[in-house]
Amino acid sequence: MATFSADVYQNEFLPDGGTDVHAIVTVACSGAGEAGQSGSGDAAEIVIVDTSGSMSGENIVAAQRAAAAALDQVLDGVWFAVIAGSHQARLAFPQDGRSAMVRMDATTRAQAKAAVGGFRADGGTAMGTWLTLATRLFAAVPSVTQRHAILLTDGYNQHETPEQLSAAIEAARGQFQCDCRGVGSAWQVAEVRRIATALLGSVDLIAQPQNMAADFEQIMRQSMGRGVADAALRVWAPQGSQVLFVRQVSPTVEDLTSRRQDVNPLTGAYPTGAWGDESRDYHVAVRLPAKAVGQEQLAARVQVAVADAVVAQGLVKAMWSNDDTLTTRIDPAVAHYTGQAELAEAIQDGLAAKAAGDTDTATVKLGRAVQLAQETGNEEATTRLRKIVEIDNADTGTVRLKRSVSKLDEMALDTASTKTTRVKK
Amino acid sequence: MTSTSGDDAAVGASGAATGHAAGAVGQSGQSGQSGQGGTALLCPKCSSPVASGERFCEACGADLGPAAAVGAPASTASVPPSQDAAPDGAGAPDGAVAPETAPAPCHECGGEVADDGYCTQCGAAAVSPRNHYSEQPAPEVAAVCDRGIRHVRNEDAVALAAGPDAGNRAVLVVCDGVSSSTDSDVASLAAARAARDVLAAIPGTRAGNSVGTRVAASAKALVMAADAANDAVIAHTSSRPGNPASCTFVAAVLEGVELTVGWVGDSRAYWLPDTGVPRLLTVDDSFAAEQIADGVSRAEAESGPQAHAITRWLGVDAPDHTPRTVSLDLDGPGWLLVCSDGLWNYCSEARDLAALVTDTAGRSGSGPLALAGALVDWANAQGGQDNITVALARVPSAGPADTTARSTQPIAVTAP
Repeated sequence: MATFSADVYQNEFLPDGGTDVHAIVTVACSGAGEAGQSGSGDAAEIVIVDTSGSMSGENIVAAQRAAAAALDQVLDGVWFAVIAGSHQARLAFPQDGRSAMVRMDATTRAQAKAAVGGFRADGGTAMGTWLTLATRLFAAVPSVTQRHAILLTDGYNQHETPEQLSAAIEAARGQFQCDCRGVGSAWQVAEVRRIATALLGSVDLIAQPQNMAADFEQIMRQSMGRGVADAALRVWAPQGSQVLFVRQVSPTVEDLTSRRQDVNPLTGAYPTGAWGDESRDYHVAVRLPAKAVGQEQLAARVQVAVADAVVAQGLVKAMWSNDDTLTTRIDPAVAHYTGQAELAEAIQDGLAAKAAGDTDTATVKLGRAVQLAQETGNEEATTRLRKIVEIDNADTGTVRLKRSVSKLDEMALDTASTKTTRVKK
Repeated sequence: MTSTSGDDAAVGASGAATGHAAGAVGQSGQSGQSGQGGTALLCPKCSSPVASGERFCEACGADLGPAAAVGAPASTASVPPSQDAAPDGAGAPDGAVAPETAPAPCHECGGEVADDGYCTQCGAAAVSPRNHYSEQPAPEVAAVCDRGIRHVRNEDAVALAAGPDAGNRAVLVVCDGVSSSTDSDVASLAAARAARDVLAAIPGTRAGNSVGTRVAASAKALVMAADAANDAVIAHTSSRPGNPASCTFVAAVLEGVELTVGWVGDSRAYWLPDTGVPRLLTVDDSFAAEQIADGVSRAEAESGPQAHAITRWLGVDAPDHTPRTVSLDLDGPGWLLVCSDGLWNYCSEARDLAALVTDTAGRSGSGPLALAGALVDWANAQGGQDNITVALARVPSAGPADTTARSTQPIAVTAP
C-alpha cells in the first residue's frame, strides 16, 4: 500500500503589509509497488518508434534494440502495443488485425520483438498521427487505468501542421503519460518538449544511437515501478487569495499553474501522473490580503489526492510580524528552487535568443544562467553552459558566446535545463 | 467535595478546599466535582490529567468543553455566558449553557474549522483558548489574559475566585511566565491556579480578630499560596535540559475593604480609588526597581536594556520565592487592578494608570470584564509587545462604620 507524505519548507513570517507566501512542499511516496498490481486497474505501455526515412542506418538498428530492451522491462500481464511512426502511424504490434493491445507474456514478448526487428526506415514525420493512434489504442482497453508511452524521434514534425500536432496533443492530454526522446541533432527540442510537458513526461537527448537501449530500458523500468496510477496535487487557498503559481521544481522544473482543475471554488487539482517510490518538490506561491501584525493565517493546504481521496497534507502558513529578523529570512529551499527555476528559464531564453541571432540577449541570459548555476551549486548546468559560453566571471555572470558550438551541446543544455539539483536540507 | 451556598462555601477547582467558616469564598448554589482523589479527568487531546472545573488543558491548551467546566470558579452560573466568552467570540462556550463539543465556528468568517486547526473558508487560525481567555467569578471581579501581538505563546496566566456578592472575599492571582524558559505557559497557569486555590480556601479572618492578627494571617496565607505556586511550577518543569520553567507571582486577597497583596517578580497590583491618590502597591523585584531605589527615574529605569530583568521568580532555579507582602485598608470606591508587565509597560505610573482606567471605563462601561478587555485592547494598540493580563475587582463604597478607622497607608509591609 502506497503511503504519501507532504513536508512544507517556508518562512511563514510576513512583514507588515506583506502578501506573498512561498513554500516548497516535498511530496514523497513509498510502498508504491509495481504498475498494474494495486488492484485498482491494469497498466498499459506503448512503445512509439520513429521509422521515417531519416532513421535509416545505425539509428534504426539502435531503435530496434532499444524497443526490444524496453519490451523486456514490461511486466507480464501489462497491456502493450508498438507503433511504428512516419508521416502516418502504423500499429506494428499486435498485428492480429483485431486487438488494439495485448497482455505481455513470453509469447507476445517474442512476437513483438520480432515485429520490431522488421522495422524499415521509410517515409516522413507526423508525430500527431502517432499520438492519435496511441490515444485510440489505450482507449480500446477499458480495464486499463495507468497508461504510459515512450516516444522516440529523430526529426522535426515536417509532414503535418503545428495545428494538427497541437490538436493531437490536446486529445491525448490526460489520456496517457509520454516520455519523449530525440536521437541525433535534427529534431527540435521545443517541439518535443511541448508533447512531453502536456503528457506529464520527460524530454531528453540521446546524442549517440548506441546509448538508446540503456535509456529505453531505464524509462520502462521506472514506469513499471510506478504502482500509483495517478495522483493529483491539490492546493487549497483561502477566500480572497490568489494562487500565484504551482510549480514542480524537482526533479525537473514544470509549471503546473495552467493545469489547474477546480475541485471546489477554493481548491484546484494539478495532475502529477503516476508515482513510484520517489519524492518530488513543488513550489507553491499564494497572495493573501494582508492582515494585522500578530495575526496568523493558513495560506494553503497542499494535499496529495489519489482516486479523489486525500492521502497527505502539508500546511503553508502566514504570520504577520514586525520583527525584521523573522520576516527578512528567506527559506533556503524556496531560495534554492527559485534560483533553479530562473536558471531553467535563463537557459531556454538564452538559447532561443542565440538561435534567433540576438547575440546581446543571448549573452545576458546565458550569463545570468552561469551566475545562477554557480549560486545554486548546479555543477551539471555549469559544465553544459561551459560548452556554449566562455565564462569570464561566474560570480558576476560575465560570459562571451563561443564562436563555434556543437549543435548537440546546445541541445543537451536545452533538454537538461529543467533538471534541478536538490536543495541541501 | 460539594460546595454549599453563600459565604460558608469554599471554592477549589482542585478540590483542595472544603467548607469553612464565614469569609471563605463560595459559589452560590452550584455543585462541584472533586478533582484530587475524585474522578480522574483526562484531557481528550493529550491525555494529561486535568482538574475538574477547568476550561482548558494546562498541558496542551485544548478546550475541555463543558464536562470539566462544571463547578469552575471561572464560570459561575450567575455570570452570563456571553460575558464568560472571549470578547471576539472565539472563547470556549460556557459549559453550563452549551453542551455540545463541536468545534466552534471560525471567529473571523463563521466558516467551518478543519481538523488542522484552520478555517476551511478563510484560513484563519482557530484561537487557542490558552491565547486569550477571561474569567469572571463574580459580577465585580474579572480578568482578561491575552497573548498580545509580538509573542507566539501566551505565557501569562490569571486565576480568580470570588463570592457572588460585593464585599465577599475576592482572590486575584497573576503569573507571568518567563519567556526565555521552557514550558512557562504551562507552568504559569498551574502556578496561578494553585495559588488561587490556596487563597480561596483559607478561613476568613475578619470576624473578631485584631488588625494585627488579620494581617499576619493574610501574609501567612500568601506565603502558603506562593509555596503552592512554586510547587506547581516545579511539577510542570520539563526534565529536559535547558531553561527550567519560571514565572512571576502576584496575588491580591480582598475582604471587604481589607486588602493584602503578595508578590515575587515584576507583576503588579495597583489601588485606583475613584477619588484620592492612586497607588502602586507592589515594588518590582527587578533590576529596574533596584535602579529606581538608587535614584534613577522610573521612566529611565523601566526603558533601559535591563528593564525586564527580574531578580526574583518562582521555579526550580528560584533562589527564594517568599513573597513580599503589603496590607492596607481601602478607602473605596475604586478599582483594585492586578496586572502583568504587558499592561504596565505602557502605563507604569499609578496616576497615569488611574487616568487610563477612568478614560477607558468611560468608553467600555464600568463592568470589570469589559474594562479589563478594553485595557488589554489598549495595550495591544500600543504594540502588544508582551503577553497582557489585567485582573480587576471593583471595590464598593465602604459603609460609614467601616470607613472611620481606615487608612490608605499600608499598615504593614513585610520583607522576605
